[in-house]
Amino acid sequence: MLVLVLGSQAFHHSTAQAGGISIDAGLTPAANRWIFRSQVRILQRNNGPAVPSMKMEAYMFPVMVAYGLRSDAMIMIRQSYMRRVMKTAGESSTSSGLGDLFILGKYRLTRINTSTYTLGIAPTLGIELPTGEDRISSDSYDLRYGILLSGRSNSWGIDLNLTYAWNGIALTDNTDIDPGDEIAVEAAVSRQVSVGETADIAVAPVLESSYQKRDADISNGVRIGNTGESLLLLAPGLKLTRGSFILEGLVQFPIWQDHEGSQTKRQTSVLLGVRLMN
Amino acid sequence: MYRLLGFMSVGVTVILIVSVAIGCGSNRKNIEELAGEGNELRVYEVFGMDCPGCHGGVEKLVNRLNGVIASKANWEKQQLTVVILRTAEITDQMIFDAIKQANFTPGKRLR
Repeated sequence: MLVLVLGSQAFHHSTAQAGGISIDAGLTPAANRWIFRSQVRILQRNNGPAVPSMKMEAYMFPVMVAYGLRSDAMIMIRQSYMRRVMKTAGESSTSSGLGDLFILGKYRLTRINTSTYTLGIAPTLGIELPTGEDRISSDSYDLRYGILLSGRSNSWGIDLNLTYAWNGIALTDNTDIDPGDEIAVEAAVSRQVSVGETADIAVAPVLESSYQKRDADISNGVRIGNTGESLLLLAPGLKLTRGSFILEGLVQFPIWQDHEGSQTKRQTSVLLGVRLMN
Repeated sequence: MYRLLGFMSVGVTVILIVSVAIGCGSNRKNIEELAGEGNELRVYEVFGMDCPGCHGGVEKLVNRLNGVIASKANWEKQQLTVVILRTAEITDQMIFDAIKQANFTPGKRLR
């Protein structure tokens, strides 16, 4: 389950130049434009002072390529490499490898550009294929659909994502566990501050907030204990844009979380990333 | 095998990032200089650009037009400057279409 939660947060929408960092709600890129994006995510979970102590560290390296098929449609492919270290009562185990392949399509329903504001709406549809290595893969085909709302006025930007993940639309032979579905409501506010006269460089402080809820996993019609959680995250970040190159980073703080059973709790996580656009 | 692939993809990523980042912005032509060589210089309003990352999208599509020597967008001024070969037959509508393909909205021709 942990892998799925991590995977679901790895920039499912990633085409905008402005806007959020981890929860980017960008609209479609220009026709024939390539966007390349990579991140490093460091995430920790633990069960606090409980005995026996449990701790998990995860390092994710997602790489994403997006392409503007037309001015109103794009396709994106994401592949992650993950390394996870679990420590329980002094014992440690490590698993690493390629994660599941994710393919997403986005269609720009509307985009209004005026001299004072820009508004856009784009629905998305994606599928996560269980192509990852054994201990990394979700072992299920997961469907993700959502809608992105994007607004800009002067140098301010507001993005809103609503995403529903229908996990386990089909399972592989490796499991009979139907993973719980997920819902995410994510928002980002940013402000672009131009540096220099040519406007080729800009710095943007970003503040993101997201609510994520995941249902418990089910096996043979029975809910599995210690699965399912709700999270509220707040993440301040900074983005530096120079021409077609973007360097970005944020720190994600869990503000509130509710877990079923005795699960580890999410700790502060860090994200660093780059984007290149041709 | 998979681990090797993972490390290789991370390595390639880093190399790509560094090489492109070094190149980014360094190949900007001086648009005024190009216009000064007897070519035509036009300036258009463009709405919808919200950061420097938008520049490349519109510039790329405008530069594809046969006869366009160079273009330079400015998201803050909401403008696109285009240098066109004097003998080229490029209409404003052709520029507007390229701007629209980049997901932006053309305004008036300012110059």
